[in-house]
Amino acid sequence: MALGAVAFIVWLAVPAIASRSIVDVLVFTALYAIAGLGVSFLLGHCGIVTLAQSVFYGVGAYSAAYCTTQLGWAAPAGFLAGMGISAILAAVVGWPVLRLSGYFLALATLALGIIGHVLFLEWDWLTGGTLGIGGIPHLELFGLMLNTPQRFYYLAWLVLAIVLWLHANLLNSRTGVAMRALRDAPTAAAALGVDNHALKAKVFVLSAVLGSLAGSLFAHYVSFVSADSFGVDRAISFLLLAVLGGARTIIGPVLGALFVTVMPHALSTLGDIHALLFAAGLVVAVIFLPDGLAGLLQRALGRREQA
Amino acid sequence: MRILRRRFLVGAAGLAAAALSIAAFAQGKEPIKIGAVLSLTGPGAGLGQGERTGILLAEKAINSKGGVRGRPVKVIIEDDGSKPDNAKSKAENLIFNEKVKAIVGGSLTASTGAIAAITNGQGVPQLALTGLGPPIELTYKSVFHLLPPQALNAKAMLEYATKGLKAKKVGVLHDSGYGQLVMNALKAQSDAYGMEYVAIEKFEVGATDVSTQAAKVRAANPDVVFVIATNPIPFRNARQMRITQPIVSAIGSSSYQYVSGMGEFANDIVFPEFLVPEYPMPHQAEFVNLHRITYNVLPKNYEAAGWDAIHVIAKALETTGADASGEVIAQALRTPHRGVLASYNFGATDMTGIELSSYVYSKLVGGKFVRLPFITR
Repeated sequence: MALGAVAFIVWLAVPAIASRSIVDVLVFTALYAIAGLGVSFLLGHCGIVTLAQSVFYGVGAYSAAYCTTQLGWAAPAGFLAGMGISAILAAVVGWPVLRLSGYFLALATLALGIIGHVLFLEWDWLTGGTLGIGGIPHLELFGLMLNTPQRFYYLAWLVLAIVLWLHANLLNSRTGVAMRALRDAPTAAAALGVDNHALKAKVFVLSAVLGSLAGSLFAHYVSFVSADSFGVDRAISFLLLAVLGGARTIIGPVLGALFVTVMPHALSTLGDIHALLFAAGLVVAVIFLPDGLAGLLQRALGRREQA
Repeated sequence: MRILRRRFLVGAAGLAAAALSIAAFAQGKEPIKIGAVLSLTGPGAGLGQGERTGILLAEKAINSKGGVRGRPVKVIIEDDGSKPDNAKSKAENLIFNEKVKAIVGGSLTASTGAIAAITNGQGVPQLALTGLGPPIELTYKSVFHLLPPQALNAKAMLEYATKGLKAKKVGVLHDSGYGQLVMNALKAQSDAYGMEYVAIEKFEVGATDVSTQAAKVRAANPDVVFVIATNPIPFRNARQMRITQPIVSAIGSSSYQYVSGMGEFANDIVFPEFLVPEYPMPHQAEFVNLHRITYNVLPKNYEAAGWDAIHVIAKALETTGADASGEVIAQALRTPHRGVLASYNFGATDMTGIELSSYVYSKLVGGKFVRLPFITR
């Protein structure tokens, strides 16, 4: 409890004590954690590997950009449009694709990620293609323009906290139990009346909505979007942060997101070798932390959270 | 004669001492910081690495001449990893932590756009090493471009194809990124040049084989083939598929790295560009020599763009002083500037003001760049 209170105070104080660029990186941590949570959901609790999250992240970003700059809609409408489109897309594509399993499913989602990126480039009438879309308005909340990292930090982390809370509730519900049964013993789950395929599709839709939410936040934060931000490498980043953080834990994606955003920033001072060092760090982390960073944290705190 | 020589040596020594003392004087003062966000790793590294050498060379040259108003220039270079979101974070750091007076970059259009969202809001001058981006940039007051818009690149290609080669039918092989941008501009201007596109074949950025597309272009029997890509494979495939017509490319494909990748097929390919260092224009000779002496390699367009960016900012700071606001420095930038790469007019509506006449044409002959006598007016 006391540790939680300290963490909360530190979180509250970060924008006041940290430099603007550090706060900026922490904003990206929150955005990646929201999108990565969707991947973690699928991986850790349903056993589904997805490499398509960058598509939904992109849909959210382009929806926010197009609705506000081209259609002149209010920002919330862009968020809702993005989440709606992503949900429909995930349902339509996910229903047949999720009949696959294992490597085949992973490859199918990879194909989705590649197709999505190609379409972001090709449909330049909608996405701006390589040039992208600029001039996306900053969000405004209660008359306060969220046009600095310090201001956006509180919104992004608040949204993340709400999403984590909902995630925890879902895991502790009947649906959460069914998801774990689907992951650990799908035949037994089906025998007990769980519609495995429908459950997978529902979680896939939920994951897509989270990706879209993060993408819309990203667009309003950066004020510029282009296809370069929604490639397969971004999808790999989302999967990576889930694996690295510990996909079976609630806090895992947040720790993973911290690693994939803060580490490159810290290493970039070391020159062109920074990408190599980051890759080496990843290998070391994956080898020595099989339970992810969350497992390390739990061990450090001397307790184990039940998966 | 001996006295004359002695006087010359004394004079030269005096000048050298003066130069050294000026440099030392400049080094003792607080430096003027300029930020640069470049793509040093990732897909854009081929551009960013060259830009960095030009920038560092310019920093050294300016400081050896006494800096700006007696203060040395210090360029802080950040790598965005070819990602626009990273570019934004790096620009945040440079503007708010390092308090730079101006930003150079990005190397890629998307990075430029992400940085421009901040520099425009803060009024910090930005010298982008790219051409004009999305239309919103035309409303920005502090963003300028060191490279021409794609419309001008397309025009330079069409000029050579129609006037240099007398071609009427063209086939195009282009990628879906940079190539698509140039292709859009080519289509917009085809009527003005009476050019007919008999085949347009597109492939993905980074494609490892485009033989099928090349075969389709060959089958259309064009007079000339445009190949627009940011890797050497399409050039190889075009020749491997026996496209024997002249190939015209764009500035983005003109690099020694790509020529090396083309191997034995680096022949009869024409580039409308700005710097052919084997045959430099008089105003380019100093830069080319300095680059060759310092790095033991010849520079190309992107090295020159980096060099020009720092000199353009230094010139503006010389006028305004380093303590002037970003808006004042941006205003000072809106004047004509004769650079190594081209003659700029940042007050022009396209934020670069490069004229068609700044282009020179090079041709690959046996893997070597040769400057062509063809000129545009």
